[in-house]
Amino acid sequence: MYIKLDGFILGLSNGGACMAACAPVLLPYLLGEGKGIASNYWITGQFLLGRLWGYLLFALLAWMVNTAVLRESEMWNLIIGVAYVLFAALLIFYGFLKKEDSGCQNSCNRKMYQQLTTLRPALFPVTAGFVTGLNFCPPILLAFTGAAAQSSLIMSLLYFFSFFLGTSALFILLPLIGISNRFAVIRIIGKMAAGIIGFYYLYSGSIMLLRGIAKL
Amino acid sequence: MNINKSAAAPVNNKPGLFKTLLLCLPMMTVTLLMLSHGQRPEEPALLIAFVLTFAFINTIFFFMIYTGETDRWRSILFIVYSFCFILSFITNLIEVRGSMAISEANMIEGLTPFCHIVIPMTLIPLAITKTIIFPGTIIGANASIAGMFVLWIGTSLALGRGFCSWFCFFGGMDEGFSRLFRKARIKNIDRKWTYLPYALLLVIVLASAAALAPFYCEWLCPFKTVTEYQEITSIKTALQAMIFVSLFIALVMILPALTERRIQCGLFCPFGAFQSWTNKINVFDVRIDPAKCIKCYKCVQICPSFSLSEDTIAKGKTATTCMKCGKCIDACKQHAIVYHIKGTPLNEGKVEIARRLFIYPAFIFLATMAGGVVQDAIVKIIKLVTTGSMI
Repeated sequence: MYIKLDGFILGLSNGGACMAACAPVLLPYLLGEGKGIASNYWITGQFLLGRLWGYLLFALLAWMVNTAVLRESEMWNLIIGVAYVLFAALLIFYGFLKKEDSGCQNSCNRKMYQQLTTLRPALFPVTAGFVTGLNFCPPILLAFTGAAAQSSLIMSLLYFFSFFLGTSALFILLPLIGISNRFAVIRIIGKMAAGIIGFYYLYSGSIMLLRGIAKL
Repeated sequence: MNINKSAAAPVNNKPGLFKTLLLCLPMMTVTLLMLSHGQRPEEPALLIAFVLTFAFINTIFFFMIYTGETDRWRSILFIVYSFCFILSFITNLIEVRGSMAISEANMIEGLTPFCHIVIPMTLIPLAITKTIIFPGTIIGANASIAGMFVLWIGTSLALGRGFCSWFCFFGGMDEGFSRLFRKARIKNIDRKWTYLPYALLLVIVLASAAALAPFYCEWLCPFKTVTEYQEITSIKTALQAMIFVSLFIALVMILPALTERRIQCGLFCPFGAFQSWTNKINVFDVRIDPAKCIKCYKCVQICPSFSLSEDTIAKGKTATTCMKCGKCIDACKQHAIVYHIKGTPLNEGKVEIARRLFIYPAFIFLATMAGGVVQDAIVKIIKLVTTGSMI
């Protein structure tokens, strides 16, 4: 129960930043379609489904890392601890120090989106969701480490699924559009919340690291 | 700079001596009953404390009415109240427990005093599990959970985020240190940090709901340094204590002194962020008259909670984080900033009425909270002088 909540909390604390960063991809499409709230929810659902696939792919990769590298290693605590500390430091930097950028717009090719919306509009929400889900930002790297530390494939998938649920919570508001002018603020708060969670992971990682060193 | 001379003319809000005394009579009656509990204190120390506290509180209120200045006088009582609170609280803890540290046994018995900062963390678990996630007592005890909830609801309805400048027993420490120097050493603070309390609120509410424990109290509360803390029995509790002390020194002492702002209240306190929303339902706000404002932005530079900016001034109002301390109102030489009752026009003749309608309830809350602790602190000081010990 705790493990799933861990991923959920990490996701929820990053939800604001995720939503504010990925909305520029989804929002113009929603506005362009303009078919009403029910239709907007359907499109957002497709977008989120795409993201979920992206995340589950990460979970699978994390599990492969676990079986290939970590499981047989005597330095399991040490490796996970170092990863936690590094990614937590990255998350703190991302949350408090990194200058604002356009988030997913950087990692996702805008031209590709434009082509996709023109040529295959029906595929757009799912594909866009999938591609934005495969974004190597600090929260995802931390979630990846968390998933790699799980004891089974199911647990890794559950970890990323709960992370997905957390990051998706604020997407419920997106089809209502009305909050769009507060994106900048939501993004700042979301990033700072992610930075604060980074301190928690820094603590967890340091404890694991100390345990790993003690075992050597 | 374009100065509208007619608008800049000072407004005479000051009543005469007799009218001031008349206006102070209700407050004197209320504080007399409140401090004495309807009885003449028997012990000499209690009697001295009662007389001194009564005189102090009512002198402050007298000058608040007589001079037409709010923050100048409020801040004196607010700061004294806060430091007396620490003195009274710590000595009481040592009297009862023998130490400032709270043991696990004490927590299991529900002997931890409840403070308002915990409130936002309790709401989700309360809704889901019907349980208060705090090792305190619901009713009957000192600083009980129900008592604090009732006080919080009442103050929030009456004052909104004015709570933070007229009620909070921690705010005065921050304010005290912010007034140590005459000039701010650090002036330019990136406004993005004003969102940190909201981010912190989001994290502590979620983490507390997930762990079913008050996360902020366990890890981040700077005021644990001057109230109580969990007994140090492990590396974890030692780390927690280090965090409390570091945050207190940085956020309550050093940064307020260097910036002349209430850094802990304005840039860190998650309860403050939560409380900001109550400004939406409160009838009082602080407004800026654009016709009188000469855009000198002095108010922006001195606002302790970063609630004023060029943008908010252009809109004629403060941000929702306004603590209604009155510092900007006192500082504005154009009298462009005023206390205001929502839904009423910014009428010159009604400005002082709106101010008085705000400061009566606000001061009653402050006097109610401050009266008891100031009296108790005076008794403790008399004890120290006469017996050599406060306990």
